[in-house]
Amino acid sequence: MPDIVFLTLSGLVIVSAIFALEARELIYGAVGLAFSLIGVAGLFILLGAEYLAMFQVSVYVGAVVVLILFTIMLVRRESGRIVEEEEPGRLGRAGILVAGLVALAVAGAVILVVPMSLEAPEFHGIPLRELGRYLASSYAVALVILGILIGATVVGGLTLVKVEREETNSGAAQ
Amino acid sequence: MTCLQGLPTLQEIVNLVLRIITSRTFLEVVFFPGFLNVMLSAAFLTWLERKVIARVQLRIGPLYAGISGILQPIADGVKLMFKETIFPELADTKLLMLCALGLMLLAFAPAVAIPFGEGFVIANMDVGLVYVFAVLSLFPSVILLIGWASNSKYPFLGGLRSLFQQVAYEIPMWLSVLGIVMLTGTLNLTKIVEAQQRLWFVVPQVLGFAVFFTAALAELERTPFDLPEAETELVMGWMTELSGVPFMIGFLAMYTKLYVMSALITTLFLGGWSGPGFVPQPVWVLLKTFLVASVIVVIRGSFPRVRVDILLKTGWTRLLLLALVNILVTVALISFGLDWVWRI
Repeated sequence: MPDIVFLTLSGLVIVSAIFALEARELIYGAVGLAFSLIGVAGLFILLGAEYLAMFQVSVYVGAVVVLILFTIMLVRRESGRIVEEEEPGRLGRAGILVAGLVALAVAGAVILVVPMSLEAPEFHGIPLRELGRYLASSYAVALVILGILIGATVVGGLTLVKVEREETNSGAAQ
Repeated sequence: MTCLQGLPTLQEIVNLVLRIITSRTFLEVVFFPGFLNVMLSAAFLTWLERKVIARVQLRIGPLYAGISGILQPIADGVKLMFKETIFPELADTKLLMLCALGLMLLAFAPAVAIPFGEGFVIANMDVGLVYVFAVLSLFPSVILLIGWASNSKYPFLGGLRSLFQQVAYEIPMWLSVLGIVMLTGTLNLTKIVEAQQRLWFVVPQVLGFAVFFTAALAELERTPFDLPEAETELVMGWMTELSGVPFMIGFLAMYTKLYVMSALITTLFLGGWSGPGFVPQPVWVLLKTFLVASVIVVIRGSFPRVRVDILLKTGWTRLLLLALVNILVTVALISFGLDWVWRI
């Protein structure tokens, strides 16, 4: 039973990742990415790391909305028409060929070297309480540094926005 | 996997199907705390809302279908099913339908974690609370996508407003339940209800309750935070270009979300299934849920809409601050050793 679930989830992750890369419209790409990340969350659940899976959904899939927003804001939509794709030149074709060969070589090497199995590995995640204990003891310094880093980022962003606003205000006054 | 080893006889297949259908999990998922209950509750809430709003405005409301118009939601559903589905010419129809269905799925998903009695819950997850919030955090993307796929001004503006307010109010919402998690030491919703047998969390966590309730109003796009819908400005918000069955799905999804959110407030702050024993436990949950939903509806009948800047300022400054104060109060409670009341 876990085999079927594992294979389905892996399929979902791979197919939607390819779709995310290949979709003509960027919005579809974002949707594909969301599905791919949800599949990864499913794999986390299969591995027993439910907490991580929930945060994968909440943080990564939830952040796709920002991606969608930027896509809408920055890419102009040609009123529903699909933009004509340019034919790749001779150099482009050669590039595709080389990239394909390299990908094949790497895939072959991985298949030959790494022992493959279609079964989900047996692994049970650490319980949440244990995780909290680690974060509050061994990794406390790292946690604090991360917090300061994120705080500094937020302050920096706010400062940038404020400077820009002041500039536009003075521009309007003149 | 047994199916693959030799062909199963008809008898075996029938037995397997019967075993699945009569299993407890299947019955729970399809009937009581699951699909049918949520669907009927959402339909009931549309009737409740129309009745309560009518009373607030000194009207009578739906009257003719069934006793006091209780069958009105079914009549509405049949009407919407037979209406023509119209999309704008350049709308992305496929994406629009996908998103409408996804919205319904997302609205249903948190319901599996709501406990309806001792050991009476579809999925008893250790991370139940985080699961519910994770699902709720997916709503803005789907709503923004609906707004974009409609390829029309008003839905898009509605989707953007919805995105801003849901993202802004998610943070106070997470922080406001932190006090409960600190007192109980668990994220399991069943255990959180068990911890409230002596005293409901609405008493020690009154600030958290206020913040959570306000944030829930914003997440639900209910008055006074119904800017994404604001009829006079945006027609019907992100639902403007939905019609017929897609509209029904979107509309029902929002009422399902109202039901789920009310049930979550009941579970977290109002003691879930706990109550005098002469009424069965699931009935207590439903009663409290509908009570919370009616309060939300009465608020719609009595308060004006807020402006966008006030909404965002309140979310990012006041509510965040109140949620942090709530955490400090909880820390004080624990350090004075008063948390024995909620220890399981």
